[in-house]
Amino acid sequence: MDYIATGFSHALKLILRLDPELLGIIFLSIKVSGAALAVSALIGIPAGAFLSLKKFPMRSAAVSLLNTFMGLPPVVVGLFLYLLLSRSGPLGFMSLLYTPYAMMIAQTVLALPIVVSLSYAAVSSVNPVIRMAARTLGANDYQTAVTIIKEARMGIMAAVIAAFGRVIAEVGAILIVGGNIAGLTRVMTTAIAMETDKGNFELALALGIILLSLSLLINAALHLVQKPKDARVEMEGD
Amino acid sequence: MARLIVAIMIVACMTASAFGAERIRCASTTSTQNSGLFDYILPIFEKKTGIKVDVVAVGTGAAIEIGKRGDADLLFVHAKELELKGVEDGFFVNRHDVMYNDFVVIGPSNDPAKIRGIKTAVDAFKKIASSGSPFVSRGDKSGTHTKELDIWKAAAITPKGQAWYLEVGQGMAKTQRIANEKRGYALTDRGTWLATVDKDKLDMKIVLEGDHALFNQYGVMAVNPAKYKHVKFKEAMEFVNWIISKEGQEAIGAFKDKNGNRLFYPNAK
Amino acid sequence: MPIGLRISDITRGYNSSPVIDNCSYTFQAGSVYAIMGPNGCGKSTLLRIFGLLESPSKGNLTYYSGNSELAQDMKLRRMITLLLPDIGLFNTTVLKNVEYGLKIRGYNKKRIHDAAQEAIELVGLTHKMNQNALLLSSGQKRRLGIARALVIKPSLLLLDEPTSAIDVENTEIVESAILRIKQERSSTIILSTHERAQADRLADRLLMVENKRLVEV
Repeated sequence: MDYIATGFSHALKLILRLDPELLGIIFLSIKVSGAALAVSALIGIPAGAFLSLKKFPMRSAAVSLLNTFMGLPPVVVGLFLYLLLSRSGPLGFMSLLYTPYAMMIAQTVLALPIVVSLSYAAVSSVNPVIRMAARTLGANDYQTAVTIIKEARMGIMAAVIAAFGRVIAEVGAILIVGGNIAGLTRVMTTAIAMETDKGNFELALALGIILLSLSLLINAALHLVQKPKDARVEMEGD
Repeated sequence: MARLIVAIMIVACMTASAFGAERIRCASTTSTQNSGLFDYILPIFEKKTGIKVDVVAVGTGAAIEIGKRGDADLLFVHAKELELKGVEDGFFVNRHDVMYNDFVVIGPSNDPAKIRGIKTAVDAFKKIASSGSPFVSRGDKSGTHTKELDIWKAAAITPKGQAWYLEVGQGMAKTQRIANEKRGYALTDRGTWLATVDKDKLDMKIVLEGDHALFNQYGVMAVNPAKYKHVKFKEAMEFVNWIISKEGQEAIGAFKDKNGNRLFYPNAK
Repeated sequence: MPIGLRISDITRGYNSSPVIDNCSYTFQAGSVYAIMGPNGCGKSTLLRIFGLLESPSKGNLTYYSGNSELAQDMKLRRMITLLLPDIGLFNTTVLKNVEYGLKIRGYNKKRIHDAAQEAIELVGLTHKMNQNALLLSSGQKRRLGIARALVIKPSLLLLDEPTSAIDVENTEIVESAILRIKQERSSTIILSTHERAQADRLADRLLMVENKRLVEV
């Protein structure tokens, strides 16, 4: 109990002090996970929609595979990417190992199946009458697809938030490919792991509390992005 | 939807920044990093040369592997036999002894296996084995683990598989904590011990120290540029030469942890 | 410009149990047709086939304008609209629902705005314009469906049970909108209903689906 109380006060002090090293770590966390999320969303939402809207052979096999990938162990992803990006590996020439880019790649690998899979589910759950309505109003195939995806936006938002939750809290993969280098690849989670290792429980807990608050803030912001259009649903029901 | 994409793009744009400056990458061990040594000496080196040293801290086994794969420019580790093997195999060059710290055997304060008073690590390990008290091993191929295995070997005991032998596969501080919970013995480095004994409220004592077999030699070396053309050999050698110079050695000797304990003893020749 | 439709020997479904069997008929451009019959008789299937949402298993449809036959392409599809019994309103404002058909046709902003305002006014939903469509009452939803269909000025307007399960007041608004199109003769209308009185009020001609066939009453 002692640790938790001091952890909170420590967290508060750290934030109020605006320590540049801490800010750098926080900023890098957002940067890495944000970039991974952006790439995953830009690829994953259309891919999920495509899976749902297009019929092709082996589709259900592809969906099962994706659902399996949602549970990829981060350490395995990290090790696999390490071997790929290592100087002695096939992509070594790109000099990506131990850079934030390697971390972004790792988190994208972790986030993408979640975005695809949950977007697929969201788009699939749109009432089929929406597709028919769009067509009766003159939409071509592409416009129909866009309309259906728009109808699935709440579910897609949930997909993005779920993916964000996975990557912002992830440590196994980025520790291996990022190396937790101070000022270069150290992020919230790897810093927490390191401080725990050092036995600095208070500091580790304080960082954990900051990470949680940050996560809460970003989740709230992601909700707000979508909210205005649907807010009336609650405000003006008759 | 459009707003969502815009929001994501904004975050994505934040990621586009440069990582410049002269940097070299040093593969080292978690225990070295956690001691705070690098935080003390690297700024001195950086100020002098303008070279920034990025430390990737992993287990000793992993650090040597990272070096062998060409993923670091230099190594700062403590597993002399493995290091020399790496040099022999052509992966590393210009290896130098840098400093040492020592290992200590720790055990529960009440010392159930009655180790205190024994002079050598080999005898102590023999007595722990015969007493049946738990022994908590790093089990992670780290320098400490390697040292521990050497001692078991010298004692002609095969601990693996024994009920009293716990391989935890964790870092030093965690291993100590587990030993504390299990009321067992462990081999630890003095640096970690001093840094954590009070903080982790360990009900443990040093039961054996000072045996020559417990010395922990640190070495520094550059990754062989003949093997990997991309390594920053020149800059890596600047660090090697500095750390073994009078100035570098004095910096190591001057380093004290936050409790005021001296952890490392420079011994470059 | 209203268009005509000739169907010949249309069958939909499997050989053993077709939903629609060998229907032939010619719908004249600019007329209003009411198709009657009990639930499940195949009225909806026929309307979906006319609306190009489904293809018949056998038989031909020919759409024509004046004397010339129209190719069954995107251009034709955009001349036809079908109001589904479930409507399928989008989860957005009343205004955006109405603007949808205009936006996807790439009309300019002014035209979209003016046409949408007019269509919304026609069904009496101006005061609900910025409200989410899914919050409307079922009668208002049907009116919105009508506005969303009318705003694109279809040449063939298909209405599947346009007033089922809504109250008298809303039915009157929907019917008056249909009658207005009838008066302008700007569109051919085929609607389905199970109410003879409504068919009499709205249609020029009455049809029945009997034993899976389309017959004139």
